Amino acid sequence: MSKVLATYNIKGGVGKTSAAVNLAYLAAAAGKRTLLWDLDPQAASTFLFRIQPKVQGGGRGLVRLRTVVSDQIKGTDYEHLDLLPADFSYRHLDLALDSFNRPTSRLGRVLEPLQDEYDYIFLDCPPSISLVSESVFDAADALLVPIIPAALSARTFEQLEELAAAGNDAPQVLAFWSMTKGRRRRHRRAMTALAESHQLKVLEAAIPTSEEVEEMGEERQPVAAFAPKSRAAIAYGELWAEVQDRLG
Amino acid sequence: MTVELIAAEPLSLGAIGDALGPRLRLGAEVRTSTERVFYDTFDGLLHEAGLTHWAAPDTPPRRTLSEPAREAIGVRALLPVAHVRVRSSTAPLLDSLQKTVAKVSIERPTLPQASRAQRRLRPRIVLEPVRGYDSEVEHARRLLRAKLECSDAEQSLREEAAIGLGTDPAGASSSVDVALTPTQRADEAAAAVLTRLQEVIEQNLPGTLADIDSEFLHDYRVALRKARTVLRELSGVFPRERLAALRGELKWLQAITGDRRDLDVYVLDFEELRALVPAEQQPELEPVKRVLSHRRGSAHKQMLKDLESRRARTAMKSWTTMLDYLPRLSDDDRPDAARTIDDVSSERIRFVYRRMLKMGSAITPASAPDAYHELRKQGKELRYLLELFGQPLHDPRVVKPMVKALKDLQDVLGRHQDRDIQAKMLRGLADEVKAQTGGAQALMATGVLVQRLDDDAAAARAEFAQSFQAFSSREQREHVKEAFSG
Repeated sequence: MSKVLATYNIKGGVGKTSAAVNLAYLAAAAGKRTLLWDLDPQAASTFLFRIQPKVQGGGRGLVRLRTVVSDQIKGTDYEHLDLLPADFSYRHLDLALDSFNRPTSRLGRVLEPLQDEYDYIFLDCPPSISLVSESVFDAADALLVPIIPAALSARTFEQLEELAAAGNDAPQVLAFWSMTKGRRRRHRRAMTALAESHQLKVLEAAIPTSEEVEEMGEERQPVAAFAPKSRAAIAYGELWAEVQDRLG
Repeated sequence: MTVELIAAEPLSLGAIGDALGPRLRLGAEVRTSTERVFYDTFDGLLHEAGLTHWAAPDTPPRRTLSEPAREAIGVRALLPVAHVRVRSSTAPLLDSLQKTVAKVSIERPTLPQASRAQRRLRPRIVLEPVRGYDSEVEHARRLLRAKLECSDAEQSLREEAAIGLGTDPAGASSSVDVALTPTQRADEAAAAVLTRLQEVIEQNLPGTLADIDSEFLHDYRVALRKARTVLRELSGVFPRERLAALRGELKWLQAITGDRRDLDVYVLDFEELRALVPAEQQPELEPVKRVLSHRRGSAHKQMLKDLESRRARTAMKSWTTMLDYLPRLSDDDRPDAARTIDDVSSERIRFVYRRMLKMGSAITPASAPDAYHELRKQGKELRYLLELFGQPLHDPRVVKPMVKALKDLQDVLGRHQDRDIQAKMLRGLADEVKAQTGGAQALMATGVLVQRLDDDAAAARAEFAQSFQAFSSREQREHVKEAFSG
């Protein structure tokens, strides 16, 4: 049975895709059979792996189980790492899901035939609160939530915690600091404050703002692949180790 | 799916890159040299399943065996088919997004063990798609075929290597498959079948002696039993005196290989038997397993001694001699020799069928196990007659329903016999098991197992009536009468 991990935040631009791509890369590099499903119609993960954002029959075909999911999977340039690409039609995924009696169980149904094929399935989710995100909560064993050290993100996190705990079989919520600028006093303060005032534990590993992360778009590779010794790559390594530890 | 093309020299990745452009492009070239030892079972089960397996020399071949391959080979051992040295030039095939869509290799294989003239095999272009990029590889294949001097490989590298070494890529078959014609003289047809059976026995002998896997002995014994059926049922085509001597010797060969085969089956089925006792008692059967495997070792040693004896060699020689002389002998002493094979074999099929009807009708739930065993023996006789002569000489639509009804009956009889023999053997092990560490508990667990086996044998006896009814139905009887009227 594979473990399903979703990188999620209601807010965009907080490092979800970067985390999904790098953590999936690290899992695969350790020999684990890994799949990344790019659920975001903006197709950033798909772009990073140089793969065409196209799924036959679109999102509707997948959730209706009319399209054979394994036929749509593409191998990346890295061993053990496959991608289920984004498709522009995913922007209407909410509507497609809404036509079912139990819409939130659909993504899990799509992944069912892949459970024995992969050790880890990463879901890179679009930023929103919608039927798609609820379906992701239903399918995921854990939510990996990047938060940036600012008040707005902290509030977002509270909302998210509530949402995740609402389901019967709520996924584990693993939050981590993203895009940190360690020297800025304001950031440090926010991080300390959140650590003190919230029930939810934030993971120790923090992903710093770095040139390498920004360069991923040009390199079209995970940071750990083109700059394995960079601060960001090391931070992703620590994050992955901690996530695995928490997953048990 | 991986595409392989056979190409002619001169060949380079540069030329391939030119042929594939501009939509596809090759990345950086890497050169390697690998030693591949291809493996398959003696009877080519991997080849039959469309699978290929190789390992580096000195690497145990089972270590990297895929799950489908493991399933395909079952209890059979992997044997080296060919040792191939492959010099490869490999590059990634990139699409317009610079994404790797496949691996392209030029492979230049040689056979280090072949004679100088046959050492070099034809170079191949191998296109191995990344998952989800089969259409790009198909496109590349079309381009290469159009622009370079190359064609689709009709044989895999493993097949070409095996042929290069003078072996059959499909492995050795133990099936008989002798082409017969209905009007053929019966002695000629019988000789053709016996010649093939002798071949099967000879080809399975080395693996039996070397104890490579249990199937060698199994195939050896099945062929021997079939040969005995031919000699017995078609006795009228052979010279009487020689026949009696040969039948005696083949019976002896069957007997000297029996113990090891029985113990093979025991060892192979042990886990299945173990599962018949309650879970908490299952570990307690370990001493029984030890005793069985020890006995199997002793039985193998004894069998080796017998099979390598002068008597065994002479038996096989006298078999060959009889077949060599057969066409030159007069028909006087052989009443069925000049009759057609269709006539003689149909008569025998009808006869054995009728004999089974008689024997089966006399069986009641109170009959001794031997009555079932005897009927099963006749069932085997009939099955072999149908396989060796019925199938090649008659329409399969006629023979198949009969084989099916027979098979159902034999399954029930086989289960009954196996359980009966297994229970008897376990009872016979009591003293040896008791002497083992943990022997007392093992003996108790054995008692439970024996009871389960007896219960299952009784259940098989209860099922007998129904399967015998199908086998002996009026429809079936009419069918046999009509199909094998001679």
